[in-house]
Amino acid sequence: MKISFPYMGTTILYKKLLEILGHEVIMPPRPTRKTFDLGVKYSPEFACFPLKVITGTYIEALEKGAEVLVTSGGHGPCRAGFYHEVHERVLKNIGYDNEIIVFDALKDNFFKVLSSFFKIKANNSFAKVKEAIKTVYKMSYSLDKLEKEVTKRRAYEVTKGEFTTAWRKIKELYDNKVFTSEDVEKVELEAYELLNSIKIKEIPEQEKIRIGIVGEIYVVMEPSVNMEIEETLNSLGVEVERSQYLSEWIEFTLVPSRYSKSHEYEILKKADKWLEIGIGGHAKQSVGFIVDFYDRGFDGIIQLMPFGCLPELVAQSIIPKMSNELGIPVLSLSIDEQIGNANVQTRLEAFLDLVKSIKFEKQNKSNIISLQDIINRNRIANRTKEGIL
Amino acid sequence: MKIGIPRALLYYYYSPFWKTFFEELGIEMVISPKTSKAILDKGIKESVPEICVPIKIFNGHVVTLLEKDVDYVLIPRMVSIKKGEFFCPKFMGLPDIVRHSIPNAEDKILYPQIKTNSDNLAKATDILQLAEPLGLSYSELKSALKKAGKEWARFNKICKKGYLIPEANKLMQEKLVKAAPRSGDITIGLLGYVYNVYDEFVSMNVYKRLQDLNVNLVTFEMIRNKDINKYLKKMPKRLFWTFSNKLMGAGHYLNNNPGIDGIIHLSAFVCGPDSMLGQVLESETQKTKKPFMTVRVDEHTGENHLITRIEAFADMIRNSKKKRRWA
Ligand code: SF4
Ligand code: SF4
Repeated sequence: MKISFPYMGTTILYKKLLEILGHEVIMPPRPTRKTFDLGVKYSPEFACFPLKVITGTYIEALEKGAEVLVTSGGHGPCRAGFYHEVHERVLKNIGYDNEIIVFDALKDNFFKVLSSFFKIKANNSFAKVKEAIKTVYKMSYSLDKLEKEVTKRRAYEVTKGEFTTAWRKIKELYDNKVFTSEDVEKVELEAYELLNSIKIKEIPEQEKIRIGIVGEIYVVMEPSVNMEIEETLNSLGVEVERSQYLSEWIEFTLVPSRYSKSHEYEILKKADKWLEIGIGGHAKQSVGFIVDFYDRGFDGIIQLMPFGCLPELVAQSIIPKMSNELGIPVLSLSIDEQIGNANVQTRLEAFLDLVKSIKFEKQNKSNIISLQDIINRNRIANRTKEGIL
Repeated sequence: MKIGIPRALLYYYYSPFWKTFFEELGIEMVISPKTSKAILDKGIKESVPEICVPIKIFNGHVVTLLEKDVDYVLIPRMVSIKKGEFFCPKFMGLPDIVRHSIPNAEDKILYPQIKTNSDNLAKATDILQLAEPLGLSYSELKSALKKAGKEWARFNKICKKGYLIPEANKLMQEKLVKAAPRSGDITIGLLGYVYNVYDEFVSMNVYKRLQDLNVNLVTFEMIRNKDINKYLKKMPKRLFWTFSNKLMGAGHYLNNNPGIDGIIHLSAFVCGPDSMLGQVLESETQKTKKPFMTVRVDEHTGENHLITRIEAFADMIRNSKKKRRWA
């Protein structure tokens, strides 16, 4: 059967998994304006932006000939858990009767996961499935490691565009050359060689600016919906790291039992003071990562959220006080189909000015800036023409 | 000691509970006044712009109470009142929102966690932890909790006899409550969160206006749990949110009930859960050809426009009912 899936982050991973299991994969096209428009047209008006984009992606994938769609049910008590229900309705309404296979988090719905599993497993032996998962798992770790290098080094590239090209090549390498888990190491070496061959500017350590990105998983992970925010920031000369990477997400979806012991746990603990319980979505992670980035010496934070996102709005309500207490500037950006590139670029530039001035004033100890000052400036940075963000 | 209770969000559903609870403990309760433009404005000032109106209003009530010199403001952290279901994320994070965004609130709020398996909060034992801040004994709280649960159950029973919440509150003194009289000529199901339906400022008094149009109303509180759950069970996957589920179940029940002439869904402007609910209600009512209308309210909704719409809806139902009668 011809399978497709939602487009999020390094999509070759899902492709790999399904291909190793012998399925024919229809690559969903990378979301574009057209995808957004389709999604907006056919999704319920007040659905969240990620749901709409995924609707658009599904339609495009079905047009390309996909027969079955695979997705994860998302986790935590938020609407993500309800996505596929709405998608099924929406697709039915426009005449598609295709099946959507959902992988819920194992602990939520064991039997459903099991049956989804058997559909995907097809005629493969358990050993084969295990190997496929292992391969993809390893691959995701490897790719995430490389991506982090890219979003760090790209800030200092001498010739514009080199890292972006290299990153694309690296993904192709993995796609073409990885078939078993052993292949991963070999390809990784090759990828590192590629990265190491790119010339970068030498910047003194104290002048480097690091920005952490937190927020709702889909808009954080998918560059085509967040206007390539990482690349844009890199091009403005700053290093970037995100709160979410695909490997963690895969770990959660496929190996939920390990999740509780992971890095995530530490992050959640850091959030306790601010948000005492998990409230669904990734709000608590967002809050925890702000603290974590701060602890690791980052200079600024950007929170990305779909417009109206419930859990992130709770985080957003808490952020101004966090920002003041920690003395780290935070910019919140809500994303929907109407957000414009130009507007974002200007706001990022203004924000980076703020980040830099705070950083350099902090370094210049004779001139310790007052917290109130940061608060005020942060407020100004979060203010747009129409009012406060 | 004075405890402030914001007249917002689930106040409408749980006021008989908290009232009894604090009365039993001999603690004075200060309930914030009815929502007004001034309260909303205070809330807007302390809230992030994108958040839904009900939360802004809630914040406005908290600010108002803090100005009133209360010792504490009660903000229960609503997590779950049914197994496998939760509250909207904003409810779960509400105490944190208030603590960290309203000036001077941090030391002044009490936020017992409500995690139980019934609408009746009598078994939400986290409430007992209020003993310390209130300076009372555990056992005093325990008996107050029990009494509060009893009173709430009585209130809930009255609602089920067909009374809207404000009516049920008035009837609490009566020993024997008869089923609500049905004097209107048409019956409409009014679906919405209690904090939208019963906040006269937000809803612009929709329910009273409908009653004035000689319409009988049915709300989810009037429907037996059994009937609500019956339809929910058929759904492959329920919503995660308790009150959205109640409305969903109630919607299905009303939709399949021949005694109901039409359904109105009252929704606050930017409400995530409602977007899902609205879609399901719309497609389900299309199937049964039950007249259905969504009324969205926010700080920009015009009152005249609202009245015109509900009048038109009621007229439409009346006309088609007449036609059917003559057919
Ligand atoms: S986390 Fe945000 S975007 Fe995701 S389902 Fe919930 S409200 Fe929608
Ligand atoms: S359910 Fe809707 S209206 Fe209620 S608090 Fe949540 S988002 Fe706001």
